Amino acid sequence: MRRSAFALIAGVLILLVAPLMISAPKIGEPAPDFSAVASNGKTYHLTDLRGKFVVLEWHNNGCPYTRKHYESGNMQRLQKEWTAKGVEWFTVISSAPGTQGYITADQENAYLTKMGATPTAALLDPSGDLGHLYDAKTTPHMIIINPRGVVIYDGAIDDHPTSDASDIPNSKNYVQAALTDAMAGRPVTTAVSRPYGCSVKYAGASH
Amino acid sequence: MIYSMSRHTRAVLSFCIALSLCSLSGINHSTLAASIPHGTVELVAENSWIAPGYGSTVGLHFKMEPGWHIYWVNPGDSGEPPKITWQLPQGLVAGEMQWPAPHRMGASTIVNYVYDGDVVLLIPVHAAPSIAPTSQAKLGAMVRFLICSDQMCVPGKAQLSLELPVRTRPPALDSSVESMFAAARAKLPQSAPPSWKVSARETKDSFVVDVGAGHVIAQAYFYPLVESQIDNAAPQKFEATTSGARLSLHKSDQLVNHISRLKGVLDLGGGEAYLVDAPIAAATRKPSK
Repeated sequence: MRRSAFALIAGVLILLVAPLMISAPKIGEPAPDFSAVASNGKTYHLTDLRGKFVVLEWHNNGCPYTRKHYESGNMQRLQKEWTAKGVEWFTVISSAPGTQGYITADQENAYLTKMGATPTAALLDPSGDLGHLYDAKTTPHMIIINPRGVVIYDGAIDDHPTSDASDIPNSKNYVQAALTDAMAGRPVTTAVSRPYGCSVKYAGASH
Repeated sequence: MIYSMSRHTRAVLSFCIALSLCSLSGINHSTLAASIPHGTVELVAENSWIAPGYGSTVGLHFKMEPGWHIYWVNPGDSGEPPKITWQLPQGLVAGEMQWPAPHRMGASTIVNYVYDGDVVLLIPVHAAPSIAPTSQAKLGAMVRFLICSDQMCVPGKAQLSLELPVRTRPPALDSSVESMFAAARAKLPQSAPPSWKVSARETKDSFVVDVGAGHVIAQAYFYPLVESQIDNAAPQKFEATTSGARLSLHKSDQLVNHISRLKGVLDLGGGEAYLVDAPIAAATRKPSK
């Protein structure tokens, strides 16, 4: 409690990452465990979410590719539809302080309200530990974990790697397709794609 | 972001005003540079006029502030290459953008293929024999791109245009831009010499490219022309051989289908870069131990 209060006041996240996994997760392999503090002040452990589908959505609110999917309402529609079906949806912000997309808990809460975004929570990862654990490369970069804790999708949100929102109606949404397949008990047709967008603005990225 | 949008709008406005002044004063062979976020972009013609039945070249010239970059045709792990949409008079056709060898930029896990500073992307333009020689040809181009620093990415766009007279004589070179075009051409990767033998084979995790050049190659870096084939961030293992070089390239996790060719730019350093298109021999199935 003390820790989350501190995190809220300071606007800083303290992220505890199981230091067991080093290489990025692969499709069909267990998703690396994590424990992360969200902008709502709660701490989320991946192991507590067994039995549910989990979506991780890397986010940078200034990135033109993130803005494509938020200003069009596309990401919010997905969040609403799938959380209603029981998916735990986490927006993850790995921008380091001083870089584009870095945000405090209060600012993120205001952003979610303003955009009408309803993920389960927004995980604040300014250290980049959670991002590196999953080898998140871009904003957006989407990862889906099944109820057994296995990674079933890793890649782009859709098949149009542009920042132009007018491409959305003509795009095949890989997250929509993967969740639909997996919930129907089918194998995921496209389990891997090239994520597109801005690079995740990790601390020390220039080195 | 709001700041950069309004700045962009202002830039486009002032550019349009500048452009109309510039056509009035009769200087038509190159545009004034348009302001873009963290730089400028202009469209430049290599020739002073175009002629029916002749080819010509235009250059898309980006100048960027230090610390900012745009992307190669394969941007690598993130980003997007510049795209151009032409508005051309009937009888004029623009070809594919030609990409100079990029350079590698990035941290340990995210690697990009980029240009920074000053770069000219060349585009061939061809005039049909039927184009009227009395007219003034106006070439319009909408350019969209992503420009990034280590800290942030900003979208950019610019509406550029260029007016060129149409004459029957073969197009003359515009001497004021000759050195710019010569430098831009020198940076394009060349076709690999016909005497070279380039082959590739596949192992479980890697593609191994053998370059038989007939001489020792001291250094080489492979820039993949196709996304999601090799792991951009993985170190490329280089070995000099007696007749060239061998490079081991780690496969991308995103590579899900079998590929039969590896296409890329082999950069030997010192401005020497070659286009490589190597057939991939199937992995040998027999046990090697």
